[in-house]
Amino acid sequence: MKKDSLIDKSYAWLDRHTGDSSRQLARSTSRRGFIGKLGAMLAGVAFLPLLPVSRPFAQETLGEIGDPQSCDYWRYCALSGTLCTCCGGTTTSCPPGAEISPITWVGTCRNPVDDMDYLISYNDCCGKSTCRRCSCHNTERELPVYYPSKSNSVLWCFGTEARNYHCTVAGVLGVAATDD
Amino acid sequence: MLVITAFSARADAEKNYLLHCSGCHLPNGIGDPPNTPTLRDTIGKIVATPEGRDYIIRVPGSSQTPMSDQQLADVLNWMLTEFNSETLPKNFEPLSAQEVSSSRGQILADPLKYRARFWPDN
Repeated sequence: MKKDSLIDKSYAWLDRHTGDSSRQLARSTSRRGFIGKLGAMLAGVAFLPLLPVSRPFAQETLGEIGDPQSCDYWRYCALSGTLCTCCGGTTTSCPPGAEISPITWVGTCRNPVDDMDYLISYNDCCGKSTCRRCSCHNTERELPVYYPSKSNSVLWCFGTEARNYHCTVAGVLGVAATDD
Repeated sequence: MLVITAFSARADAEKNYLLHCSGCHLPNGIGDPPNTPTLRDTIGKIVATPEGRDYIIRVPGSSQTPMSDQQLADVLNWMLTEFNSETLPKNFEPLSAQEVSSSRGQILADPLKYRARFWPDN
């Protein structure tokens, strides 16, 4: 008899404890709560680009055609080196483990979509050994090294911790001056 | 019409700054000291003297840039008003193409030594 009572008590405790835990779980993980949090997260993500974070390249929403992994891509008209898009990076960001050089040179390329000239910042990604994929050598409006600030023959790993060259990105700074 | 022309010259000066100067001095002019000096709240102080006006034209980063005298004058004036509004002398007269032309031809063999005479802190 004592044994039955103990089992009954145990079941009762287990029932009560399971019920409390289930209700607690339901309170904290309701479907409405989940949908609410998902909505807040999606809204937050939508507003993320508006936050005052550092964005070095201003014109990333312009119309473009072509393959960013090809040397013929319009932004690469004066790029000499390796395309970061083939090495795990994008047109504006370095591959993981490489550091973007703040010091760079700026050229001008014509966008075939709107036939306008844009200022292109050719930033080298540094700190890793040279990426051997997608080498590219274009020289439109690039100048010899006696104009170092206009030359793509210079390794632009200045202001970075390590000076070894990995690849190059091509960010759009804005529309070029009308008389270029 | 004059207003439109002035606005256009200022817009082109900003674009020429981005094309010819921002690679080293960065788009907001802060530079990357000690590799590249900042242009913010520094060059506004030194144009108070004739030597300072002369210097910012003759420094190799200015004088050797492939821009016309007028374009260089516009870019320098843009940098002075855009990045140095707090330190620019109240009676500042914008640099002219003629002033750029006469200073630019005199090669500055040792910019640091020349600069130390009137700008000892930098």
